[in-house]
Amino acid sequence: MQSTWKKLLLSAALVVATAAGASAKETVVWWDFLGGGDGVRMKKLIEDFNAEHKDSIEIQATTLDWGVPFYTKVQTSAAVGEGPDVMTYHASRIPLAVSQGVLAEITPDDMKIMGLSEASFASAPWSAVHVDGKQYAVPFDTHPIVLYYNKDKLAAAGLIGDNGLPKDLNGVDNFKAALKKLKDGGSKWGISTVTADGSFSFRTIYSLLCQQGGSIGSDGHWLEGDNADKLAKAVQVISDWVSNGYNPSYTDYPTTVALFTSGDAAMMINGVWEVPTMTDLAKQGKLFNWGAIELPVFFDKPCTYSDSHSFAIPNNAGKPQTPEKHAAVLEVIKWMEGHSLFWATAGHIPANKAVTDSAEYKAMQPQATYATLAANMIYDPKSKFAGVASPLFDAAGNAFTAAINGETSPADAVADMKATLNALK
Amino acid sequence: MLKSRRNEILTAAVLVAPFVAIYGWLFIYPTLQMVQLSLTDAPLIGAGNWIGSENYAQLLSDKIFHTAVWNTSYFVIMTVIPGTAVALAIALMVSRLRGWAQSIILAAFFLPYVLPVTVVYVIWDWMLNVQYGVLQHLITPIMGQPVNVWRRLPWLLPMTALITVWWTNGLSILLFLAGLRNIPQEIYEAAQLDGATRWQVFRRITWPLIWPVTVLCLTIQLILQMKIFDQVYLFSMGGRTQATMVLVQYIFDQAFVHNKGGYAATIAVALFVIVIAFSVLQFQALRARSAQ
Repeated sequence: MQSTWKKLLLSAALVVATAAGASAKETVVWWDFLGGGDGVRMKKLIEDFNAEHKDSIEIQATTLDWGVPFYTKVQTSAAVGEGPDVMTYHASRIPLAVSQGVLAEITPDDMKIMGLSEASFASAPWSAVHVDGKQYAVPFDTHPIVLYYNKDKLAAAGLIGDNGLPKDLNGVDNFKAALKKLKDGGSKWGISTVTADGSFSFRTIYSLLCQQGGSIGSDGHWLEGDNADKLAKAVQVISDWVSNGYNPSYTDYPTTVALFTSGDAAMMINGVWEVPTMTDLAKQGKLFNWGAIELPVFFDKPCTYSDSHSFAIPNNAGKPQTPEKHAAVLEVIKWMEGHSLFWATAGHIPANKAVTDSAEYKAMQPQATYATLAANMIYDPKSKFAGVASPLFDAAGNAFTAAINGETSPADAVADMKATLNALK
Repeated sequence: MLKSRRNEILTAAVLVAPFVAIYGWLFIYPTLQMVQLSLTDAPLIGAGNWIGSENYAQLLSDKIFHTAVWNTSYFVIMTVIPGTAVALAIALMVSRLRGWAQSIILAAFFLPYVLPVTVVYVIWDWMLNVQYGVLQHLITPIMGQPVNVWRRLPWLLPMTALITVWWTNGLSILLFLAGLRNIPQEIYEAAQLDGATRWQVFRRITWPLIWPVTVLCLTIQLILQMKIFDQVYLFSMGGRTQATMVLVQYIFDQAFVHNKGGYAATIAVALFVIVIAFSVLQFQALRARSAQ
């Protein structure tokens, strides 16, 4: 009797021991805000990682709501030590996060373990993830705005050059003339850009400000000198399109995409993240010949607004990462960086130069066509009031929505914006 | 005798203690914390420095706060009394139906109440979409062109008020229907015998007898609409948020977007005082009325 019990206990202990030994897997809790077309591709990347690392690391991913909800949740969770192990983060929000103590530093040793360094990345995203000389995130991609165009409609209006790319679009007046040609040629709208949300149009306006050599400034020094006039000129460009009937007024984001894909608008300025929408439609045979190029040079030099998705490690209060967890997280980031070619199918430009220099990336269209803008990117100002879904964006939404649609003058809108920015503290 | 009285009090205290403890912990204590927070310059997370009544001084001269108070009042005026009146009208009509016809019609009016706010937002956003919305066919003949009601300032709050009435009417209709069913049929028969007109029946019999339910609906609606946030936030996102700001939205904006916990608490205290003042005022006014 006794010996049977002993045997039973022993075998039970053995089973538990082997089970415990087999599950020496690290789980990495991952939070991102990637919904939509690029979210689908990120889920595939995570699946592939988990399949490849079946016995060692498992990513448990959750997709949260983009914008203020994500950043607030990260901040409040990190404050009580309940944050994730790794997360995606917009580079433009890093200054605010660092001032709140939300992010853990990525040390040079960490970078060495991942086989990455300053030389691996383009200069703009590299600088965007640094605050006061310390690194707080690893850039994953850059996502600028680009000009999408309907090749058929542009060719009919004589706006396609011999190289198959649009021509005669540089310069404010040239572009307006091109819009007129498109409208006369039968397009309902020459271009569809978001006009209902000044906070989104701000990306275009900010690019146009930079193209004039202007800058928005930073904390305590917003829109000094002639930058206010340059900003007003930038707003004027879009309000002219609306008042001339080339761009629909008070139109929101999903509607502008629908106008372009249905053929009602010949061009569209939107983020690169809409590329998968276009490629998926084209694959189903439901789209015309389309392309995407860098924003034309409206003023003096090429410049495009951009931001980066990056990987960051939250500073979980009272629960610092164990060395094993930290090693697993670095492995995740390293793998993602190495596989960012697939991420490029979501339209984003990988930050890892090894990927953008490869032959496979150079063969991707239209990515390879607009990748040239990487040399002319401008990011949000490094301020805790800036970044996506920030007080700066909010101020733009309030100031510019009315001006773009002709309710107020661009000069008044800029004065409004300057007053709001100066009142931020 | 004294001993058993003391026992009674002790028993009562013990029975009430759990509720008092939980209420104190979940409601009273955080409210006191909120008042304390409003006297500091704390960010969203973490403590701040004591600054006394500086936040309140700033609040008095804050243009956006004044806009928020005005917008909230405007919204309350557009939803509370009209919403209750519409609910009463619908309840009167529905109470004349019988059997399954009444059930189906009642369900149809109650259905919007079941929807979460995001579903309501998506439905109405697309119906009123400036390029593709079906309701623009009603607006275009009157205005001459499609109107983006979410971005043209005079339209946003009235439109949101209309949608809110549509959305929250279900509960008021149910309450009124229950109240109407409680009126004994004999009274109506007696009135008919005396040759009363429809209007006299309503004014002399239905209206006074349903007064308690009317008071209830008005009070619920008033407190609910003073705290309006979801719909206005969703419909105005990305656009002219400052011009259409309402009080709870301003609290959210200051706390979560601008990271100013102390100032947000100040606005919350102001809203708390306003809601209490109005509720007491309304209750007294309606009680005085029913005492007549």
